[in-house]
Amino acid sequence: MKCEAARPLLESYLDGELDRAAVDELESHLSTCAACRAELAALERLRTTLRAAPRHRAPADLRRRLAQAGDLPQLEAASHGAFRAGWWAMAASLLLGLALGAGFMGWRAGTPGDDRQLRARDLLTSHLRALAASSPLDVISEDRHTVKPWFAGRIGESPPVIDPKSDEFPLLGGRIDYVGGRRTAVVVYGHRKHVIDVYVTAADPGAGALRMQGYALEPCLLAGQSTWIVSDIDADSLRRFSGLLGCGSQDNRR
Amino acid sequence: MPRPRTNLDVGLARDLTLPHLDSAYNLARWLMGSPQDASDAVHTAFLRAARYVHTYAGGNARAWWLSIVRNCCLAILSGRQTREVSLDALEADAENLVASEANEPEEQLHLAQSATLVVNELGRLPAEFREVLVLREIEDLSYREIAEILAVPIGTVMSRLARARQMIRKALARGAAHEM
Repeated sequence: MKCEAARPLLESYLDGELDRAAVDELESHLSTCAACRAELAALERLRTTLRAAPRHRAPADLRRRLAQAGDLPQLEAASHGAFRAGWWAMAASLLLGLALGAGFMGWRAGTPGDDRQLRARDLLTSHLRALAASSPLDVISEDRHTVKPWFAGRIGESPPVIDPKSDEFPLLGGRIDYVGGRRTAVVVYGHRKHVIDVYVTAADPGAGALRMQGYALEPCLLAGQSTWIVSDIDADSLRRFSGLLGCGSQDNRR
Repeated sequence: MPRPRTNLDVGLARDLTLPHLDSAYNLARWLMGSPQDASDAVHTAFLRAARYVHTYAGGNARAWWLSIVRNCCLAILSGRQTREVSLDALEADAENLVASEANEPEEQLHLAQSATLVVNELGRLPAEFREVLVLREIEDLSYREIAEILAVPIGTVMSRLARARQMIRKALARGAAHEM
């Protein structure tokens, strides 16, 4: 092994993430190469230095709050109670109908715009979690006649499952997620390596696309049902996709 | 399959999250900066975990829970108008940081032992580099767990960690030089 091959492995070695064969190869190189040994020593010193940084422990009152409240409403109240200034500002904003500046954490009930942001955030969190899971699908099928009844059997309603009949945007299947405390049908499409989630929501999604953390969230009316398209595909592809679904038009196939 | 019973949700969420509350708080504390903001973020994350507890599909509960905490922190931070910097700008900063201090003498790193310096410099790193260092070095998580939390491939974790180490090394060396 040469130094150029050894250097990129040093960190994985230090982190205990190299497989046995690579460890053997690297160690035999280290036994003959003072420069790589010095680099490894420097990385070890860096580790020692970084580990001098404190690991912050959760404050007792936070632990108590989470451990003791009986149910979600109580916890939500506790979350408000934790910062009274915020609570009073919230009450004031409700009374006066004034929106506070953006920010805070969204538990402050407020204008429809805030509510929309909050719901969009819930959608994005759900989308990201589905991506992080081993599979974003509960039912895998390219056939909408399979996907649609699968939903009907589980959430008692039949969401609009539209097959764009395009190799560019294949129908992959569906899943059921909790969004804002409700079970929500998600129809899943693909686009190259990307996943496109179409959330069928009860609430009116309002107008205009949102962008958060590099993801696009676009409201779309499908067969009279409110949906949100959530994905990280580029704006052009998203436009083509929503066009193929027939967003906004009245005659899409149910 | 989902069970719409709220009290049960909270109970299950507690079982999954409370054993890892220190990890959650530590990550939030490093991402948010202040104790109050960190507590608020973890509280919000707990509410989400309780709501979405049925999406937990088995496996690593700590990674599942930390990914919720992280998403909450980022959502709160991205909602803030002040100190708002785009990721592109952070990337550019990061490049500068690496580029400008290319050949700092290695010995000066020894002088960077003080915890205060580490805390300051770590706090100054862009969040995406700070978080991998916190998860790896302070929480002692594996590449796979970090990949799950950040929702990125393991290769990305490795390259981001390498960048982060390079950046903090330069920053510590420079910080140590200033102290002299």
